[in-house]
Amino acid sequence: MKKGLSLFIMVYLLGFWSFSSDQEPQKPLHFYNVDTEKKIKGTIQEIIMEPRYKDSSPFLIIRLEEKKTHQKFIVEISPVRFFTHDFHKGEELEVVGSLYSKEGSQNIIARQMRFRGEIIILRDKHGFPAWRGGGMKLKERRKGKGF
Amino acid sequence: MRSKNFLLFFSLPFIGIIVIFFVLSSLNRAYIKNKTEDLVKEQLQATAEILKVNISYFLRENYSADEIFESYSRKENIYYMALLNEKKEILSWSSQFEAYLPLSLQSIKDEESWIIDSPAGKIFNYFSPFSAQEGKAYFLYLGYSLKSLEEMIVYSRRNFFFIFGLISVSGIIFFLGLYQLQRHYLEKKREAEEEKKEKERYREISAFTSGVAHEIKNPLNSLSLIFELLKKKAPLYLQQEVGEGKEEIQKISRIIDQFASSLRPLKLSKETFPLEEMVSSVRESLVKESDKAEVEIRYLESSVIDLKADKGLMSQALHNLLSNSIEASSGGVISIKAQQKKKTAIIKIEDSGGGIAEEDKQHIFEPFFSRKKKGLGIGLYLTKKIVEAHEGKIEVQSKIGQGTTFLLQIPGG
Repeated sequence: MKKGLSLFIMVYLLGFWSFSSDQEPQKPLHFYNVDTEKKIKGTIQEIIMEPRYKDSSPFLIIRLEEKKTHQKFIVEISPVRFFTHDFHKGEELEVVGSLYSKEGSQNIIARQMRFRGEIIILRDKHGFPAWRGGGMKLKERRKGKGF
Repeated sequence: MRSKNFLLFFSLPFIGIIVIFFVLSSLNRAYIKNKTEDLVKEQLQATAEILKVNISYFLRENYSADEIFESYSRKENIYYMALLNEKKEILSWSSQFEAYLPLSLQSIKDEESWIIDSPAGKIFNYFSPFSAQEGKAYFLYLGYSLKSLEEMIVYSRRNFFFIFGLISVSGIIFFLGLYQLQRHYLEKKREAEEEKKEKERYREISAFTSGVAHEIKNPLNSLSLIFELLKKKAPLYLQQEVGEGKEEIQKISRIIDQFASSLRPLKLSKETFPLEEMVSSVRESLVKESDKAEVEIRYLESSVIDLKADKGLMSQALHNLLSNSIEASSGGVISIKAQQKKKTAIIKIEDSGGGIAEEDKQHIFEPFFSRKKKGLGIGLYLTKKIVEAHEGKIEVQSKIGQGTTFLLQIPGG
C-alpha cells in the first residue's frame, strides 16, 4: 500500500514538473489581500471598461465617491461579460473589497456589493473569482439584508 | 411468525455484515486518505525545497523576481506563488485566477503548510523561508493543486459505494431467494401434513363405515332369507307385497355393497392389454344392460394402443362413464376417441346429451352427488378414484344442450 502511495506521489511530482499549461499566468498587479478588506458606501461617478489581467476579457471598473468623506475610489468589479447589472451614474453602491493604493489613488478589488438592495457576490472570502467556477456563479447571487 | 423469525434470522446477520463492512471500509478509507495527504504534503514540501534552491540560484544570478516567476508560473499544478522579502512584503506574485492569492500576512508564521478548499478544488499552501544572495532572507509562498489526489479520493469513494451497493443488492436478492424457498418449503410441508391428516381421517371413517356396512349386511341377509321363506308360505294375495319387500331389502344390500366398495382403498393389478379390446368388452356389456338400443357407441383410435393398467378397474371406470352418457343421451352417437401422446393414453368420450349445468360441474366427481332419479352418485366418484389411482387425470367439458365430453389421461400407454 505504501509503495503504491509513493508511486502515486512520484507520478504526481513528475506531472508537476513536466506538464505545462496553456493558461497564461496573470500579470502581477494587486492581489486580493484579505488583510486589507474594507467596506465603503458611495455614489457611482463613472463607469469604465479596461483590460486588467493578461488573457482576460476587459474588466468593469467604477469610480466611486464615498458619501461621508467624499474620498474617491476605483473599484474593480469583474469581467464585463460576467456582470449583467445595469449601473448608472449617481446611483448608490456599497462595496466590500480589498483596498490598495496605486499612484496616489485608492483602489478596491470588489468581493461583494450591494446594489439596489441586492447583494452581488463576485469572489469568495479568500478572493477566488466567482466567474472562474465554484458555487458562486452569477445565477446564484442571492438577496439579503446587510453584509 | 415462523417466516418473520426466518427473515430476522437471515436479515439481521446480513445487516450486521453490511454495517461492519461499511464502518471498516469508511475507517480504512479515512486512514488511507489521511496517510496519502501526509505523504503528499511531505513530498510537496520537498519539492518546494528544490524550488527554493532554484529560485536562490536565479536571485544570485541577479534575475528579477518577475522573470523567475514567469518561468515557474506556467506549471499547471501551481495555482499561485509569491516571493516575499524578509519583512514579509510581497516582491512578486502570480496566480492562475485573477488577483487570487489567499494569503493573510497578519497571521502567517515563518513556516507553515495548510490545505484550503477552493472552487478549483483542494489547494496545498506552503509558506517557508529561504536565503539567497548575500544571505538575504526570503519567503516563498506556493499553492499547489491537489486535483490528482482529489480524483483518487473520488475514485476510491465511487468504488466503495459501487462495491457496497453490489454487496447489498446481491445479499438482498440472495436472502430474499432463501426466504422464498423457505416459505415455499413451509407451505408444502403444511399441505403435506394436512393431506396426511385427511388421509388418516378418511382411513378411520372407511374402517368405521365398512364395519357398519358389514354389521348391517348380516341382518339384511337374514331378512332376505326370511322374506324368501315368507314368499313360499304366504297366501297368494300377499305374494306380490312380500316379493317387493324382498326386492327392497336386496336393493338396500346392493347400496351397502356399492357404498362399501367406494370406501375401500383400490389395489391395482396392472397388466398390458389392447385398449380396443377393453372398450369392446364394455360396449357389449352395456348393450346387454341398456334398453336404449338407438344409442350407438363408436370407437376410434389414432393407432393401436396397448394400455398397462388394472383392466378390471379401468373397465369399470369406462363402464361408469359410458352408462352415464347413454342415460343422458336420447339417441345419436357416443364417440370414444383414443390417441397416444408419448406414454399417455388420451381417451375422449363425447355424447350429445343434455349436458351438465355449470354449477353441477364442480360437484359431479364428489361422492353421493347425483341429479338422476335412480343411482347413488358413486359412479363418477369411483371413476375419478380409479383414474387417479393410475396417476391419471379426468376432466369434464360440458354445456347445457350441447352434450358432455370426458377427457381421460392415463399413463402407461
